[in-house]
Amino acid sequence: MELTDLADIVGLVFIFLGIATIIISAIGLFKLPDLYLRASAVGTSAGLGVASIVLGALLMDFSGTNLIKAIIAIIAQLLTSAVGSMAIARAGYLNNALPAPITHIDELRLTRRETSGGR
Amino acid sequence: MMSWPFRIIGFLLWYAKEFITANLSVTAEVLRPRGRSKMKPAIVAVPAASRSDSEWTLISSLITLTPGTLTITISKEHGILYVHGMFVESREQLVGEIQEMEDRMLHAARRAPGDLTRPAELPVVRPLEETGESR
Repeated sequence: MELTDLADIVGLVFIFLGIATIIISAIGLFKLPDLYLRASAVGTSAGLGVASIVLGALLMDFSGTNLIKAIIAIIAQLLTSAVGSMAIARAGYLNNALPAPITHIDELRLTRRETSGGR
Repeated sequence: MMSWPFRIIGFLLWYAKEFITANLSVTAEVLRPRGRSKMKPAIVAVPAASRSDSEWTLISSLITLTPGTLTITISKEHGILYVHGMFVESREQLVGEIQEMEDRMLHAARRAPGDLTRPAELPVVRPLEETGESR
């Protein structure tokens, strides 16, 4: 077996791991009770899922320029997904998307203006 | 004390380990049947030692990037991060985890450790009045 075959196989394994992570986090989107838990679950697909697919593609077609592209893609993906999750969570809290009842401590609620009825 | 570049590499390796274990625990939670769920979500006010804007951005992004913890908002004025956690046994446990990450992050981000003090007790943050609101 040649080295490129081995890299192809490892690359495929990474790509399938990434696909599995994304599918599981999609299940989490349906299963979890509130906005904040769902945003946490989507974090696994946006972080590890996409990163391992990019890594797998890099291993299957390795070159110097592709290495640089992959590093930039992973860093940009991680930064933007984190900022996006925070924006969604903050907007949700400001628009009265209260956490699910199983949330046993909520210290942010103390700073909340009680609104009658909600939106 | 290691020199600065090595502290950055050390922090990145530690963070990568935390990132992977957090991914595994969230994935396991999603696959676990509803009856045996270990989920104990909570939103906790964590006193923080960050000072500059870039440190606040960095720590809140790093917290959100780790699956299972999510920064909802910060109060720079009071030095507090409001963090939503997925597996929170007690307030102290989540505060400890976040502060450990922040300590390691600040040691890597600053050339000299500098001021690492945190607000000793949580201030009372009152909601803004209906009038004169600016957000």
